[in-house]
Amino acid sequence: MVFSVLWHFLHDRELAEELAQDVFLSLHKNLNTIETAAHAGFWLRKVAVQRAIDAARKRSRRPQVSLEEVAEPSVRPAAGDPMLGEMLRRLIATLPEGPRMAMILRYQEDMDPAEIAETMGIPLGTVKSHIQRSLSLLREKLERRGVGER
Amino acid sequence: MDWLEEELTQALARQEPGAGFDARVRARLHRRPPQWLAVAAAILVTIGAGEAWQQYRGRVAKEQVMTAMRIAGSKLSRVQAQVKGSEQ
Repeated sequence: MVFSVLWHFLHDRELAEELAQDVFLSLHKNLNTIETAAHAGFWLRKVAVQRAIDAARKRSRRPQVSLEEVAEPSVRPAAGDPMLGEMLRRLIATLPEGPRMAMILRYQEDMDPAEIAETMGIPLGTVKSHIQRSLSLLREKLERRGVGER
Repeated sequence: MDWLEEELTQALARQEPGAGFDARVRARLHRRPPQWLAVAAAILVTIGAGEAWQQYRGRVAKEQVMTAMRIAGSKLSRVQAQVKGSEQ
């Protein structure tokens, strides 16, 4: 869960693993503050989210790929196609930090907006807005590439 | 959940770290402090020892000066007593 959040957010396997290790070392240092297994899960997600956002900000000086620059596939992928999965991951990677993390927590971790708001430390309304806008944007980009419902 | 959300659930399925992740975390947990820390500690100890030595030398020198002044003082008193005695 920790590695996966970091990997989907940063798209850098080496960095994701290093940060995931940091998160578990940090958990070890803070074991005395953990009360239950559920608390440990919440704590791990929260720290992973913070580390991911911090790491993304640190490397933000590097040129980022914009949504318009994501290469169009030579063959249009259909729903259920692994190529569509790859296209979605690349499109999500181009979202701003907040919406990107909200989408990862929603669809990877299957968290509801209230849980996402608590984990990210942002208002519930902002989370709902991030998810709705991101879905609309993805739908629009996919339709422009000729990808839609079967 | 519509088709896009189902696709997103598949696309963002959990990824696992490379094999041996647990062992790498445990290794970091038991890793020795970095070498620069040992060097910094050695430098601090050296500086501390140097200052202590300087303070010790200062104290010894002060005691030597005080002893010399006491000796000089007693000799001076003796000379003054002799001068007084010869005048009388």
